[in-house]
Amino acid sequence: MGRQLTISCFRYNPNIPGDKPRMQDYKLEEHEGMTLFVALNEIREKQDPTLMFDFVCRAAICGSCAMLINGRPRLACKTMTSMLPSRFTVMPLPVFKLIGDLAVDTGTWFRDLQIRAEAWVHTNKKFDFNALEVRMENKTCEEIYDPEQCIECGCCVAACITANIRPDFIGATGINRVYRFLIDPRDERSNAEYYEVIGNEDGTFGCVGLMACDDLCPKDIPLQQNLAYVRRKMAAAGLKLDFKGVKTS
Amino acid sequence: MELAKNLQTTINRSYGKTDLYVDLAQSISGVLLIGFLWMHMLFVATIVVSPDLFNRLSIGLDEYYLAQVGIPATILLIIIHIFLALRRAPVRLRDMRITYRMAKMMNHFDTWIWVGQVVSALFVGVMASIHLWIILGAWPLRAATSAMRVASTGPADHTWGGFAFPFFIVFYVIFLIAGEYHGGFGLYRILVKWGWWDRHTMGWVLKGITVVIVGLGIAALYTFTQIAANLPAGGVIQ
Ligand code: HEM
Ligand code: SF4
Ligand code: SF4
Ligand code: FES
Repeated sequence: MGRQLTISCFRYNPNIPGDKPRMQDYKLEEHEGMTLFVALNEIREKQDPTLMFDFVCRAAICGSCAMLINGRPRLACKTMTSMLPSRFTVMPLPVFKLIGDLAVDTGTWFRDLQIRAEAWVHTNKKFDFNALEVRMENKTCEEIYDPEQCIECGCCVAACITANIRPDFIGATGINRVYRFLIDPRDERSNAEYYEVIGNEDGTFGCVGLMACDDLCPKDIPLQQNLAYVRRKMAAAGLKLDFKGVKTS
Repeated sequence: MELAKNLQTTINRSYGKTDLYVDLAQSISGVLLIGFLWMHMLFVATIVVSPDLFNRLSIGLDEYYLAQVGIPATILLIIIHIFLALRRAPVRLRDMRITYRMAKMMNHFDTWIWVGQVVSALFVGVMASIHLWIILGAWPLRAATSAMRVASTGPADHTWGGFAFPFFIVFYVIFLIAGEYHGGFGLYRILVKWGWWDRHTMGWVLKGITVVIVGLGIAALYTFTQIAANLPAGGVIQ
């Protein structure tokens, strides 16, 4: 016999006229190796088919199952129920648009981020189908691999007070994304071009250093290190720049 | 909306470095203030060694114009710092509510520390003004006057209708703790934002320093009360 779990779950479907946000309790029995992902699926199968939540990979790869578990942003598929008390709450991530119950739309937010951060390799080199790919140093490869592990789950955004109160703030994932291209030798952007993307209050200089992102990233990306690197780099770049602007008065 | 935002950026391009300068200035003002605060506490703590040393340092402040330049500079620095740092604080009621709820719900250590920093900032702001007003009103600093002040029981140095309250001791203990907390974690935050050290080790180092400084402050306050107790009634003002 496993423990009797009580999951207090946020319920609200904005698409049903008149529906009101509320907490609803579900009880179920815990079994060996149960993750919250498994528990929610059991509830949906056996108790309440209307419960909405997202998942795809159930292996901490797709980033869709992030939610507030006992108040902290985590991946449901990477959270063992045995780590939790027998009664706990699950709520949708803040910042992102609510789709219903635990499901939020991180896609729109991250799409906007990709555009704002210009998150692609900028290069003038013509791609040659027939040539061998240029080799990369193993060390560089590993360095890029580390920020590249971001699965866009949104935990760092939801956990960040700055992102919560300043809707235009690009978040740790955004700064980390720029870091990923900044250290990629294939990206030919100058520091000035990176500065234009992120050298402002909505970008790297907007971060207050609360470190919730660093503590709560489910992929354990060293966000503090990466964010500080970008800040130093952009400060150094910014100090050297010479801006010519439009005189408005 | 995107287009409008881009247009804003384009028009404001001449200010493209403002955010950088403001962020740098905030961090630099923070470092300078914490440097001042720790120096200040070391100076005050010389009272534990001997009142003579304390007096000689204080005379030195005036002789070498450190006070005449240093005090206005520090006041200016505090004003700049408040102006810059307030930008980051949750100032709208809505933001305060989000901040409080998120901090409580996540129960995340560094986030709570920051909430405490914003709150302690209010204490430091008000108390630093009172402190400066009193100190400057009774300049120059001497061990005996400071001791009398620390030990006095009310703003007018008299009982309040028979009710004696150790006003200054309470004031200084709260001020000391609020100031050290605010500054110590402020420095931690600056190092976390810019530095490459492991933040947990660094956190412990800074907590250690803060405890030492608070200890020095408490020792100084205790010494002042002892000196006051041994002064003739009314105190001898040098
Ligand atoms: C002796 C006085 C003070 C010292 C040593 C001090 C030190 C610091 C430091 C080192 C920081 C971190 C700065 C950063 O992250 O870049 C900070 C942040 C802050 N300070 Fe002060 N401060 C003092 C007085 C004040 C006062 C009087 C106020 C306002 C009434 C204030 C308001 C703030 C606020 C709101 C923050 C948070 C800003 C942020 O999170 O970025 N401080 N302080
Ligand atoms: S940086 Fe970490 S917490 Fe943030 S979106 Fe990426 S994987 Fe999630
Ligand atoms: S360090 Fe803090 S303010 Fe900066 S991105 Fe992370 S959580 Fe947000
Ligand atoms: S289901 Fe893909 S990350 Fe959890």
